[in-house]
Amino acid sequence: MRNTLKTREDRRKMVLTVVFAVICIIYVLPILIVLINSFKSNAAVNTETFALPNEDTFMGLQNYIKGMTFGSYPFIKAVFYSLFITIVSSALILLCTSMAAWYVARVGSLFSKIVYYLCVFSMVVPFQMVMFTLSRTANKLHLDTPWTIPVVYLGFGAGLAVFMFAGFVKSIPLEIEEAAAIDGCGPLRTFFLVVLPMMKPTFISVGVLEIMWVWNDFLLPFLVLDINDYRTIPIVVQYLKGSYGQVDMGATMALILLSIIPVIIFYLCCQKHIIKGVAAGAVKG
Amino acid sequence: MKKFLALILALVMALSLVACGGNSGAQGEGDGDAATGSVYYLNFKPEAEEAWQALAKTYTDQTGVPVKVVTAASGEYETMLVSEMDKDGAPTLFQCNEGGVATWGDFCYDLSDSAVYNELASKDYALKNADGEVISIAYCLETYGIIVNKALLEQAGHSLNEITDFDSLKAVADDIHARAGELGFDAFTSAGLDGSSSWRFSGHLANMPLFYEFRDDGVSSKPATIKGTYLDNYKKVWDLYITDSATTGAALLTATGDQAEAEFGEGKAVFYQNGTWEYSNLTEKFGMNPDDLTMIPIYCGVEGEEKAGLCTGTENYWSVNKNAKEEDIKATLDFLYWVVTSEEGTSMMAEQFGACPFNSSKAPSNPFSALANEYVANGCYPVTWAFNYTPAVNDWRAAVVDALSKYTAGDGSWDDVKTAFVEGWATQYANENA
Amino acid sequence: MKQIKRKRDAAALNSRLIRRPIQRMVWLFLLPTFAAFCIGFLYPFLQGVFLSFCKFKVISQWDWVWFGNYIKAFSDSSFLHAFWFTALFAFVSVLFINTLAFAVAYALTQGIKGSNLFRTVFFMPNLIGGIVLGYIWSMIFDGILVKYNTSVVLNSKFGFWGLIILICWQQVGYMMIIYIAGLQAVPEDMLEAARIDGATRWQTLWKVTIPNMMSSFTICIFLTLTNGFKLFDQNLALTAGRPFLQQADGSVIKTTEMLALNIYNSFYSSSGNNRGTAQAKAVLFFVLVAAIGLIQLRSTRKKEVQQ
Repeated sequence: MRNTLKTREDRRKMVLTVVFAVICIIYVLPILIVLINSFKSNAAVNTETFALPNEDTFMGLQNYIKGMTFGSYPFIKAVFYSLFITIVSSALILLCTSMAAWYVARVGSLFSKIVYYLCVFSMVVPFQMVMFTLSRTANKLHLDTPWTIPVVYLGFGAGLAVFMFAGFVKSIPLEIEEAAAIDGCGPLRTFFLVVLPMMKPTFISVGVLEIMWVWNDFLLPFLVLDINDYRTIPIVVQYLKGSYGQVDMGATMALILLSIIPVIIFYLCCQKHIIKGVAAGAVKG
Repeated sequence: MKKFLALILALVMALSLVACGGNSGAQGEGDGDAATGSVYYLNFKPEAEEAWQALAKTYTDQTGVPVKVVTAASGEYETMLVSEMDKDGAPTLFQCNEGGVATWGDFCYDLSDSAVYNELASKDYALKNADGEVISIAYCLETYGIIVNKALLEQAGHSLNEITDFDSLKAVADDIHARAGELGFDAFTSAGLDGSSSWRFSGHLANMPLFYEFRDDGVSSKPATIKGTYLDNYKKVWDLYITDSATTGAALLTATGDQAEAEFGEGKAVFYQNGTWEYSNLTEKFGMNPDDLTMIPIYCGVEGEEKAGLCTGTENYWSVNKNAKEEDIKATLDFLYWVVTSEEGTSMMAEQFGACPFNSSKAPSNPFSALANEYVANGCYPVTWAFNYTPAVNDWRAAVVDALSKYTAGDGSWDDVKTAFVEGWATQYANENA
Repeated sequence: MKQIKRKRDAAALNSRLIRRPIQRMVWLFLLPTFAAFCIGFLYPFLQGVFLSFCKFKVISQWDWVWFGNYIKAFSDSSFLHAFWFTALFAFVSVLFINTLAFAVAYALTQGIKGSNLFRTVFFMPNLIGGIVLGYIWSMIFDGILVKYNTSVVLNSKFGFWGLIILICWQQVGYMMIIYIAGLQAVPEDMLEAARIDGATRWQTLWKVTIPNMMSSFTICIFLTLTNGFKLFDQNLALTAGRPFLQQADGSVIKTTEMLALNIYNSFYSSSGNNRGTAQAKAVLFFVLVAAIGLIQLRSTRKKEVQQ
């Protein structure tokens, strides 16, 4: 009796595994199709989207070579700007907002309350509400380069980050910080030596959210950056598709694939943190 | 110790914020040298970007006046101009044709006393506003029609002389299409409606009904409404394009401009609607024999069209930004004069744009440009670029392309195309002048 | 004096030991973020609200027109269409994403082999940007549909379901992670108790598991709902609003255009005459998104309390 129950359970699990394996294959198919098409000639991408490359249509790495130099904007530059903007913006957001959140959570002045509620408020404001005026303001203040756009990201992304950090700080007992203060630690040392280490899980979840946001963001850099000199990957992809006369589908596929690869590598490396971060962020949120 | 730490940290943060700002500030302002002025050209034509950059460098080397050339991605010019004009250091030189006058007329400097205006071979190539100010001048003349691969045409047993109007064009095309399998090539290249190709039809082909209507009605400025008298002729040509070609139906929706170009370049089609600017691509990229190439007018079944010439005109006009600094305006005018008179400038213009309307312009090597003159010399009437009047051009074209797409895939009726064409015109005109 | 004391109490976590020294360093802790916040949010936001009452082409030249822009926005049939389309889309996407994500999460917490691998795969599409996703799927849909002589931009039904498929593919993995965390947090002893009481698997799921993870549902529904309303990149890349519905008066309704794209299009349309209206639309959009977020959050939180 017990035995049959167990085998039935096992069989159920086996079936589930098989079902999920199939679903997973279907799930990655879109990416595989991009991969296949990135080796095909231009015309074949449109006419035989799902066919494997054959003798006539196989292009080898030519699409990739073309893709890297395609159009007037070298792709490698876009990769660099995307990486730079993502890393610097996320780092800046993490550092500044965690400090701000600690201040907000520990100092109950009117100012800090106003800041806190403004942050919460900013979380529900869609980007379209500020897109026009923000791009103008950013330009006036010369924040329209990759070196300075992190400030814009910090400003627009501060809300969620401050909210999440402050929520966490409020949940940690005050006594630890008080003890540090009694031991003669100033606010700086208290923050960096005591509070920050405790914040690590929130740090990771906020970091993951910010990185994913900034890396994939299209409209903000598109409107804020000086598009002639600086383009991020999503902008390059959008330009590839939307240009007169010259749309090389093969090269576009190659670029799309190249733009996915760093993300997948990042994901596979920090998978555990990402998944934990998302889950933690959600439960807190 | 802790004070020290705090100081360092604050410094780093302040620096990273301020230094960034200061840094880029210096960059931004570095462009405008107060003493001599500078030029910022927002270029419309991506294919000419390299040539412009090189020319700008030559000019800077010779005169020391900085010239910045920025090129908008195709189809993005308007968006880009909107955002650039709103910035500090806005373009001093930009593109403004009939379509743009409503939006940009207020930004245009009066060119009537400028040297570059006096260089114009015919003052017809300048646009004036209601006050008679010269707001922009055309800088190149382009020609389009149906490019024909003569070698293939002969291989199919036909000759150019047979084609004199729409019916004869259709007869030849139908015959080639019917024997496409045996010949190994088709009549027309695919009439792709992807964004990279659709402008050939929503812009250039749409010029035919517009041109004939405006000619009948004597329209000489942007009309608020149109009647669509010749839309049936537009339909005739479009039906021909989408029938006598290898790609038909919904597959045309994703067909790109590259695809059509490659079909023609690789000898898989005899006819290809495009213009002078394709010449170098076809002869260089695809290595076609220049002797095999010629261009014929777009025939669409209008009375007397045996006498039609090629479509010659331009949508490329220079305007100078009125709101720019005085010295920048002067620098820009000097630059323009140099471009249309100097050896380097005129060579580049002739090479890139073919025929140009200035006194000292060089004769273009591009045979398509010469063909246009030949037609006129033979007593044909030139077909002007009536589509330059199109109001809110991107929106109008998007609607026409969408309606064409549905019609082409068999999902919609021709009536929608008509509505998009005629009523859409009135709507966009009203939008633009709201 | 009393009042000051009450104020201090209100800031429940204020400790004198900590507060004063931090407060002295406000310029270091708070001001950088606040300054950036003003540049990146506050000032543009206020200016945006102001401009929604103006007619303007470039920011420096405006004319105050009171509620003219709002009246125009409400009489713009394409905006109203975009609203209903977006609402329908958001509703359907919330339904699909959450059902699928929960089902997957539930199955993957049953201890089947390869759970980790599956989880990895399902989460992956999340990391790809909306623009790229849109182009990938538009290629796939067109590749299939062209065999039936049609295209995703020809029929608004295809556009709608195309967007739903795309958004599910992208977001199911993310929500699944949150649901898995919720499922794992359900107290083991309660499940044990249910089992001992002879509850079926189905009963346990409905009576024990789901009520115990209401907060996961709150957050997921909240996220999917606002994501649905704010969708832009995918919309732009997949259909860009096509097919259009040709109105008899010559205007067009872009049948698959969602609110965010509608606002964007009115801002950057070729004539540039609708900027004020576009800004008014943006304000309305903001009010809508904020209201939905708050109502949704409140109603689900209430349910949580009741449990």
